[in-house]
Amino acid sequence: MLESEYQEQNRFFLNMGPQHPSTHGVLLIVLEMNGEYVLDPQPVLGFIHRMHEKMGESRPCPGFMPNTGRMDYVCALPYNHGYVSLIERKAGIEVPKRAEYIRIITSELNRIASHLLWLGAYLLDLGAFTPILYGFDDREHILDILESVTGSRLTYSYYRFGGVCQDIDERFVERTRAFIKRLRKRYVIYEKLVTKNIIFIKRTEDIGIVSPDMALRYGMTGPNLRGSGISYDVRKNEPYSLYPEFDFDIPVGRQGDCLDRYMVRIREIEQSLRIIEQALDRLPDGPVRSKVPKNIKLAPGDCNFAVEAARGELSYYLIGDGTSTPYRLKVRVPSYSNLSCLPELGRGILLADLVSILGSFDLVIPEIDR
Amino acid sequence: MDKIIKNYKGFLIEQGFDAIETDYEQRGYHLEVVLAVNQVREFAKKAYELGFYLVFVTGFQVRSDEKNDSLHSGLAVVYQFARYDRQYRMKALVLVPNSLEIPSISDIYHGADWHERETRDLYGIIFSGHPNLKPLLLSEEDWDFHPLLKDETRLKSLHEVSWTSGSPENDTPETGAETDG
Repeated sequence: MLESEYQEQNRFFLNMGPQHPSTHGVLLIVLEMNGEYVLDPQPVLGFIHRMHEKMGESRPCPGFMPNTGRMDYVCALPYNHGYVSLIERKAGIEVPKRAEYIRIITSELNRIASHLLWLGAYLLDLGAFTPILYGFDDREHILDILESVTGSRLTYSYYRFGGVCQDIDERFVERTRAFIKRLRKRYVIYEKLVTKNIIFIKRTEDIGIVSPDMALRYGMTGPNLRGSGISYDVRKNEPYSLYPEFDFDIPVGRQGDCLDRYMVRIREIEQSLRIIEQALDRLPDGPVRSKVPKNIKLAPGDCNFAVEAARGELSYYLIGDGTSTPYRLKVRVPSYSNLSCLPELGRGILLADLVSILGSFDLVIPEIDR
Repeated sequence: MDKIIKNYKGFLIEQGFDAIETDYEQRGYHLEVVLAVNQVREFAKKAYELGFYLVFVTGFQVRSDEKNDSLHSGLAVVYQFARYDRQYRMKALVLVPNSLEIPSISDIYHGADWHERETRDLYGIIFSGHPNLKPLLLSEEDWDFHPLLKDETRLKSLHEVSWTSGSPENDTPETGAETDG
C-alpha cells in the first residue's frame, strides 16, 4: 500500500458537540481529522440563536433590559452596564456618582465570578476535577452577595437608566470586604494546586499561540488578546463610567499561548479586587437614581457604546429614529470574534490541544449565538 | 507612518475618502466615513495598514427610494474599526446597490468572514468574493429568510434616522421608579 493511500485511509470527520462537555454549551465543531491530528476545525454556530437584536427593535428601550443579562449569562452585569450607558449617552441622562460606584463594584464582582467559573471549567476540561469545587465555593460567596442587592443569582437585570434599582447597604459592604480578604487567602491554594502543576503547564505552555497580528486580523479582545502581549482594555483605553478614578493595572502575557491567557485571567482577579476595595473605601453618599423621562425618546442618528466584559470588548450600536423604540440595535459580542480564529489556530494540532485552546478562550455560547 | 496617524481625517481625505469628524461624547466614535461601493476594499486595506482592528460589520434597512440609485435597495452596511493602542473609533457606511452586492473584505480582515455571513443571514446582502457565504447563525434551510428586514409600514427614510434630522423633545423628567416596566 502506498503512503498516500494509507494517509487517506486515516482521514475522517469528527463531530465535536453540540453536546460535548468541553465546548461549554451547544457549540458544534466539525473536525476533519487525520488520526489524532486536526486538519480543519470548523465551528457551526446558531444552535441557541434567539435573535436578540430583533427583540431590541420591536419594543421600547427599557424592555430590552432583561435580554442583556441573557446573552453572556456568566457575566451579565457588564452587559447591563453597556446597555444602560448606551441609552444614557443617547438620551443625555446623568447618573449619580454613588450609582456609578455601585455599578463598578457589582460589575467587578461579576467579572471575578466569571473568571472563577472559567478557572474551574477549564481545569475540568484538562482533566483536573478538584479546582472546580474550589472555584465554585468562592463563586458562591459572590452570588450570595449579588443576590442580596440584585435579587437574582445569574441573569441579572439590576441597572436602570440613570442609576441602579436598589441601593447597597452596610451589610453588603461588610460581606464584600470579608470576601476580598477570603479570596486573597485562596490565591495560595490556587497557586499550589494549579499554576505550579507540571501536568497543567505541559498541557498549556506553547500551545495555541495567538500572534499579535493574528489577533488584529480577527479583532480579538479581552484576556485572549492581552495574553498575546497587547495591553488593550476598554476600561483604560476608552474610559467609561468612573473607571479613570481607580488605580489598577492591565496584566498582559508574553507570547499568547494558553498559559498566558490563564495567567492574565488569574492576575485580573487581583486587579478587580483592587478596584472594588478602592470603590468601597471612597463610596460616596447620595441618591442611586436620577430623574429620567418617563418615556425616553431616542434621537435620530446612531450611537455606539463599548464596555469591557469578562471576555473582551462588548459594543452596543444603536440607530434611533425619534421614538422610544430603537430603529436598529446591534450587539457586538467578544467571544464571536475570539472564536472566529479557531479554523486558523487549530490547523495541524492534536485533538487534546484543541480542547485546551477552546477552554482557554473562555467561550460562552449564548453570547456568540445571541 | 506616525505623522499620518496624528490626523486620520486629513490622511483619509487625501486618499479620496469622504471622512467627517464626529462628537465622541454624543456618538461614541470619532470619525465617520461614507464609502462608495468600489472604495470598500481600498478603505479596509488602508485601515489594516494603519493598524485598526475590525469591531463589527452589520447592516440596516431604510425606506428605498427609486429615484435615488444608491438608495434603491434601501440597505446599508456599517463597518466599525478601532485601535488597540489608543482611544480611536471610526465608522464606515456604504449604501448597498440594487444588485445587493458589496465586495467582501474577509481576505483583508479574516474576522470579517463571520460578520459578513451573519449580515447576509439577517439582511440578504451578498458579499461578493466571500469564500463561504453559507448561513451561519440561521439554519441552512432558511438561506432565503432574512429576519431583520422590516415591514414596509415600519421603514423610515435614511434622513429620518440620521443625526441631521434633529432631536425630539423628551417629556418632563419624572421620578425614576415610574419608568420600571
